[in-house]
Amino acid sequence: MSIDPANDSKLAPEANDATLGDVDRWIEQLKKCEPLSEADVEMLCDKAREVLCQENNVQPVRNPVTVCGDIHGQFHDLMELFKIGGDVPDMNYLFMGDYVDRGYHSVETVSLLVAMKLRYPNRITILRGNHESRQITQVYGFYDECLRKYGSANVWKHFTNLFDYFPLTALIEDRIFCLHGGLSPSIDSLDHVRTLDRVQEVPHEGPMCDLLWSDPDDRCGWGISPRGAGYTFGQDISETFNHANGLSLTARAHQLVMEGFNWAHDGDVVTIFSAPNYCYRCGNQAAILEVDDTMNQVFLQFDPAPREGEPVIARRTPDYFL
Amino acid sequence: MLSREEQNRCFVPVRRILDNEDLKLFKEGDAYKLIDSFICDLDEAVKDKPISASIPQSSSIEHVLNILDRVGEIKQENPAIDNMGSRFGNPAFQSFYDQVYIETPKLHQVFGIEHNAAMEAGRYFYESFGNRKRIDYGSGHELYFMSWLLILKQLGIFTKNDYPALVVRVFVKYVELMRSLQIFYTLEPAGSHGVWGLDDFHFLPFLFGAAQLVNHKYLRPKHVRDPEILEMCRADYMYLGYVYFLNKLKPSVSLRFHSPMIDDISAVKTWSKVNEGMIKMYRAEVLGKLPIMQHYLFGHLIPASPGMSPAPQDGDDSEVTHVHSHYADCCGIKIPSAISAAKNNGSRIPFD
Repeated sequence: MSIDPANDSKLAPEANDATLGDVDRWIEQLKKCEPLSEADVEMLCDKAREVLCQENNVQPVRNPVTVCGDIHGQFHDLMELFKIGGDVPDMNYLFMGDYVDRGYHSVETVSLLVAMKLRYPNRITILRGNHESRQITQVYGFYDECLRKYGSANVWKHFTNLFDYFPLTALIEDRIFCLHGGLSPSIDSLDHVRTLDRVQEVPHEGPMCDLLWSDPDDRCGWGISPRGAGYTFGQDISETFNHANGLSLTARAHQLVMEGFNWAHDGDVVTIFSAPNYCYRCGNQAAILEVDDTMNQVFLQFDPAPREGEPVIARRTPDYFL
Repeated sequence: MLSREEQNRCFVPVRRILDNEDLKLFKEGDAYKLIDSFICDLDEAVKDKPISASIPQSSSIEHVLNILDRVGEIKQENPAIDNMGSRFGNPAFQSFYDQVYIETPKLHQVFGIEHNAAMEAGRYFYESFGNRKRIDYGSGHELYFMSWLLILKQLGIFTKNDYPALVVRVFVKYVELMRSLQIFYTLEPAGSHGVWGLDDFHFLPFLFGAAQLVNHKYLRPKHVRDPEILEMCRADYMYLGYVYFLNKLKPSVSLRFHSPMIDDISAVKTWSKVNEGMIKMYRAEVLGKLPIMQHYLFGHLIPASPGMSPAPQDGDDSEVTHVHSHYADCCGIKIPSAISAAKNNGSRIPFD
């Protein structure tokens, strides 16, 4: 392993602050799908911000590493992913965003990934997706979930403030470029990405928006995205971008694909989606991409985690119906 | 029938909501009142009306049902293709969409309306089956369909006497058609709230479905938890039919987990309360949400509010340029000059 094991202990104990023991306890609790208390979430986010703000907009990542796509709150399927790919810190992981919204367990999912990031900062990289945003989470479920599980929006605020610090992209061994969405007509070099001020709400347009929202397309050139943000980009664009930046591949997430991964642009772009049977109805497989220490790439596909009974949860009448 | 002069003022509807200010203007404007009162009037009209009820069925209703039948035939004429190497939605949906688009003018001839009026109604119609580019469907597309019915009503095709049939015949048939399209072409859920919404694709079956049950002697909201009752009553009540469908579609977990919102609502004591809540929720979660309403279309009969942004360049339109020639008269349509000057610094929340 090329990673310095001493870095695993970089988190220094401080008075009245999270210690290694606290973070280990949080991870243990979260792995049982039990949410942290509001106070623990606040501490977790405060400490994670200190780690994340030191990371680059183009965060360097060493191989071997396993690259993952959207999770969307499907906690049990995330646990299945770790069964398939191996546990942190035994294996290195790179997650390309969209941890929250839609699924029942966004809180537990994002808490666990952030706690793992805090505990093993060099073993796991967590990028920002378009759903790691105040405006998007108020529409697509994470806000509702926080209200329901905590009774107030404080936890939602802690996490959405933290999301601003997530790196936008990652670069594996200077060869594989990883990001949530896709390319931008405003960006032709990785150095340009490095200059962006990322600590903000995802803007509605511009290069930072495009990195989190764009999609590859069969048509050449740049197109207007039907999502209303970002662009569509053709094979000519990704070929030029990869060549100009010495890249062998651009890996991204953002789109639901039936087999969990989908090649595009003659091997220049791959989409990875890691939420199986999305919305409990799409019937899709999930996939993760293993990049070994010689840069060989293998996709592992997986199905939804087998269910092991359902915990009893009290009904709560939604506000509209009171 | 709306006067010929008024019909000739119609035009192909376009998007005008680009930011929160536009959304605010929409909520204060005439279009919102038109849509909201139409939905509420339909809701009132289907109270206590099971799907099997005998209700008046005018020739206009027959025409609309025949149009939906034709859409079903177009689906059969455009079978799903081998989807290896594709993302999620099946590309054959684009052929289906193109054919609906091409046939839209002919399908509107039966109403005997002017050309411009058919163009205005037509866009809501052909957009109501899903997004061609994204191959997805959501409550925004469902709203296009209701807007199509609203415009036909404004044109004088329907009267209030048609309202019960518009829901328990026309809307029910539309939802059945959409379910088959969603499965046939594996449409992606657009703008889904996942477990935090009612359903990934539809909203109005729950709103109208609750209205159907408001004064039912025996059925209570808690009965959505009872599989036997769902089986027995699903054919007559949209709400129960939809819950039955969701349970079948998502067998890996219980209602509690695949639809916790629906399960929570089952604890509400009366269908009347559920129905009121659905209307509030629709106003807030569909009509009041920018990611959905930024795709809404405005024409002459459902007008944009004064001060709304000019129409943006619409990527979806350019996507169908290759079949534009079939609309030979289209180029002669008068389009408001406001559309030609696209606002270049519109601030908006992207969709999904």
